[in-house]
Amino acid sequence: MNWQLLPQFAITGFLNGGPIALIALGIVLIFKSSEIFNFSQGQMLLIGTLSTWWFWAEEGLGLPLWAAIILGLTVSAILGLLIERLTLRPMTGQPLLSIILMTLALSQFLQGMAILTFGTTQRNFPAIFEVTSPYKISLPFFTYNNNPMMLILKQNLVWSFGVAMLCVILLWAFFQYTRTGLSMRATAEDHETAQSVGIRINHIFGISWALAGIIGTVGGILIATASGLDLSLPIVVLAAFPAVLLGGLESIPGAVIGSLLIGLTQGLVALPNNDFILGAEAAQVIRSSSEIIPYIILLIVLVIRPDGLFGQKRIERI
Amino acid sequence: MKQIKPVLLLLFIALFALAACGSPAEEPTAVPEPTEEPTEAPVEEPTEAPVEEPTAEPEEEATAVPEPTAEPTEEPTPELRTENLEGETIIFYHFGDLSGPYAAITSPLIHGMEDAVAELNANGGIRGATVEIQFADDGGSVDEAVAIYDRFTSEDDNPLIMFTYGSGEAEALTSRFAEDEIPSLTSGLSAVAFYGEGSGYTFGLGSIYPDQFGAFLDYAVANWDEIKPDSAGDEIKLAYLSWSGAFGQGALTDETRAYAEELGVEIVIEELYDLAPTADTTTALLNAQAAGANVIWTNTLAFGPAALMNGIGALGLQGEFVLAGDNWAMDLATYAFVSDPALTVGMYAPLSYLWWNDVDHPGVQQAEAMFAANERSMTEHGVGYLVLAAAVDVAAQAIENAIDEVGFDALTGVDVQYALTNMGPYEGLQGVLSLDFSDGSRSPHSGQIRQIQGGPDAFNVVQDFTDTPDLRPAK
Amino acid sequence: MAIMRPSGDFDRSYKQDMTVIRQRWQYILLIMTLLALYTLPMYASEATVSLINRIGIAIIAVQGLNILTGYTGQISLGQAAFMTVGGYTSTLLMTRMGLNFFAALPIAALTAGLIGLLFGLPSLRVKGFYLVMATLSAQFIIPWVTRTLWQDTLNGAQGLIVPVPVINLPVIANQCFLSTTFNAETAQCAYRFATPSQFIYITLTVLIFTTIITHNISRSRLGRAFISVRDNDLAAELLGINPFAYKLRAFFLASVYAGIAGALLASNLRHINSATVGLNDSVLLLGMLIVGGLGTSVGPIFGAALVTLLEEIAVVLTPLVITVAPDLAGGATAALRPLIFGLALMLFLIFEPRGMAYRWNLIKAGWRLRPFAK
Repeated sequence: MNWQLLPQFAITGFLNGGPIALIALGIVLIFKSSEIFNFSQGQMLLIGTLSTWWFWAEEGLGLPLWAAIILGLTVSAILGLLIERLTLRPMTGQPLLSIILMTLALSQFLQGMAILTFGTTQRNFPAIFEVTSPYKISLPFFTYNNNPMMLILKQNLVWSFGVAMLCVILLWAFFQYTRTGLSMRATAEDHETAQSVGIRINHIFGISWALAGIIGTVGGILIATASGLDLSLPIVVLAAFPAVLLGGLESIPGAVIGSLLIGLTQGLVALPNNDFILGAEAAQVIRSSSEIIPYIILLIVLVIRPDGLFGQKRIERI
Repeated sequence: MKQIKPVLLLLFIALFALAACGSPAEEPTAVPEPTEEPTEAPVEEPTEAPVEEPTAEPEEEATAVPEPTAEPTEEPTPELRTENLEGETIIFYHFGDLSGPYAAITSPLIHGMEDAVAELNANGGIRGATVEIQFADDGGSVDEAVAIYDRFTSEDDNPLIMFTYGSGEAEALTSRFAEDEIPSLTSGLSAVAFYGEGSGYTFGLGSIYPDQFGAFLDYAVANWDEIKPDSAGDEIKLAYLSWSGAFGQGALTDETRAYAEELGVEIVIEELYDLAPTADTTTALLNAQAAGANVIWTNTLAFGPAALMNGIGALGLQGEFVLAGDNWAMDLATYAFVSDPALTVGMYAPLSYLWWNDVDHPGVQQAEAMFAANERSMTEHGVGYLVLAAAVDVAAQAIENAIDEVGFDALTGVDVQYALTNMGPYEGLQGVLSLDFSDGSRSPHSGQIRQIQGGPDAFNVVQDFTDTPDLRPAK
Repeated sequence: MAIMRPSGDFDRSYKQDMTVIRQRWQYILLIMTLLALYTLPMYASEATVSLINRIGIAIIAVQGLNILTGYTGQISLGQAAFMTVGGYTSTLLMTRMGLNFFAALPIAALTAGLIGLLFGLPSLRVKGFYLVMATLSAQFIIPWVTRTLWQDTLNGAQGLIVPVPVINLPVIANQCFLSTTFNAETAQCAYRFATPSQFIYITLTVLIFTTIITHNISRSRLGRAFISVRDNDLAAELLGINPFAYKLRAFFLASVYAGIAGALLASNLRHINSATVGLNDSVLLLGMLIVGGLGTSVGPIFGAALVTLLEEIAVVLTPLVITVAPDLAGGATAALRPLIFGLALMLFLIFEPRGMAYRWNLIKAGWRLRPFAK
């Protein structure tokens, strides 16, 4: 094992979980209010991020970055509202399969729209954070072969994590202190009760989709600024799905913690090296498992604790 | 249920009989095969039969190749066959990926081909015949490439040449090309496609990846003292950081491993990263560093090398590794994905064709003039345009030779394949791409080592053309 | 819907009641259709035959999914992964063990079935959406296994070249008949299913078998048990049907079908790797099922045909789109495919969730009730 890399990989992985958490939060928001698991979250954030790029780029509007981001987020909010109104509203009361397929169909449709509108060319997304000169931290108490351990952290990794956590806090405050946030929580609790106290739950559904679009796009922008923007961006949600289940479908803190844990494990599987106990080949297999480790965790969670770490306990006949 | 059982049974028997009777109907499509007898021909002596069937046994390929020579001997007046073919058309079938992962590098391929073909037609085409391009986008999917192949072959029962781009579809289609006797030129330089079982009609526009890898190792071993990073010792320790897939793993074969060992190069670590621009190479790079690697080889392109360069930059590992990659890695497409162009500086790659900065070369000048005349965008000023322009020249020459040999009316893919393998060393586009497909070789075996010493215009030669080690797979 | 029959068609015995094909004209129609399909290579172009071939393979995979999702009500996003298992197994059996394709096919189907059973195990613990996620994990784990483990055998991400299916026939009177060619190794005449118009005989024959089997499953005890599990598992249990056992059977059967489809696909493409079929294909197969009609015998056929044809339309429309938006030169097909599929699926979900099969029944009933129904 590369013990000297343990803190490095653990922290890198953990920080990588930040943007994933934002995407996972989008999924949880929608599920909480309307019990719809949104498989098209990846494509929503793709379109949001592409619009942001278009508002900024010279080929597009050429606006300053902050304005482009605001406009991009607006686009994703409108997109979320439209999706809810046009495609999910007619599905109210339909069986689970239909609703799952609707969001899957949406993901295909939006992917097609993204290509049709923006083309297949590669785009340079503006770098928001410094791309070179990483933070180098030497760990005070840990040593390896009598050398102090060093942490090398990419700037955009650290800052992306910071922005992601800021968004989580903002979201928490929104649910805690604003009227809309409170009515969303009420709706999540019970649709009928919420209606009886005068909450228009259709509005709440719309708002949760818009909100999901916005925070998803923030995640998308953070990822795009680190590694460029491409039509394959939606694959980042594939790490968010297991994170959502690990945390518990309805739980906002669960989604955050789930994502960070998924990021952490993805970092840790990179540790085994050629001196690994089970041999070099096994080490290589484990290293290349970072893309499926979330799904292995998912299977374990499903068998041991289907409700996830913080999800509502459901007593249900199977 | 019971009632329908016997009926169904009968039905199946009838259908099988039908199926069997149905198949002779395909014979008309089989007839154009030049020298072969109709497949129903009596097998008088079973031992003789295989010789007539080039596809029966792969080992027989070598003996199957001379077949077309049988035809010229029937009418030994080749020069009479050169006629003016005005009004005829010859179709170049072209597969590309404009919407999948390889889009960044294959879109310039198309324009390179279009422009070269337009110029060819303006100069009288192939013996007067106009060349047309049939293009199809398979989005990087082998599945789709096969469907396109079926479409192409169904529209035309005598395709003369096809162009493919990626290792995946080159490998999947290679046995079809050989069976249907359609020569193909490919930019997917997989050893399996050229030399694997059932191959023979697939030819490469560059050295196969194992040869490229070997060529670079040769260079690195010979010049280690000059090129090595400051922190490195005398031993070359190589990290193979690449994509998964036919292309990404293309340079790591039993032969290259043995060759590296022979040269005393230790492959200390193999790491995969995602075939996506969003790939994170942090762990791969740090693991390589921890394993003591001082050389990185990547068999990737566009965002593939860019992910490594970005990672090296962001982690502050500049100067720790010698970065090298396959020929496609050293291309303009990489620049679209690097966060800072300076990060590309220092990368090595073996190139078997010339580059745009060889401005004194007449072939490059010709390509440059073509590029300017068609007002192509500078984002396409890359390898795809240059190589395809040269490939069109090679294909046109081969078809021209074949026409001279057998005439246009009798022309088939077999003749074109024969012409390709008998052209000797040929300088495509006045030498931009030199190819020699004689003696069973289906890919070039020489190359230069170049290094990025500035922007895309400074892919400078650090070692001139030398023969690459021959690391094609043993059968 | 009540069964609507033309006048004069009565049941005089139980046997007659259970007959699938009731009337002489139905026989004739069936035979004509099959004739038309089997003689397809005679009159249709290679591209059309290749298209029918692809539709046929998709139908088989969707039929399996129909047993699991349509009849038993368990949603799976892993069907394509089990196709991968089938494809790899048949290939390895052919290349490593020297088996004939037709011997390898059933073994590949069983192997896929067993792996499917394994990933069906979470259905004992979770259902509905959670089960979707469990099958989704199969969609990631299985391709990863094929490209990471046993690299010597599976050849990693590069995948395997798949041999062409061959039937060996004896040499009769020193001649090879029926478009076969002589194979010196086996001293037999070999018929190679290489081109689409040769391969289609395999696809069609297998398809006929799977169609008969699926239809008969749906009207036997097994099928009724599946439906009872779907509609009300509590009631099913009271009737003596163990829902868990039947869910697992459905998983097994669905994966067997996927295995068959995968083996056919691999041989048809002559190449298989972890990316040959993926998550998108699983979504596509589910979409085909919805569009065709859940829980009906004709649904998979309609759905697979329509969705595959829609994909072809995307190819046909591409030049048109390029003239409108020249910037999109390459992306047009890539854009239109998901766009058209997504749109069609959404429209079906909103306006005709019972799929084309229901529409088909309405047309049939309308025809029989003519002139009283419009």
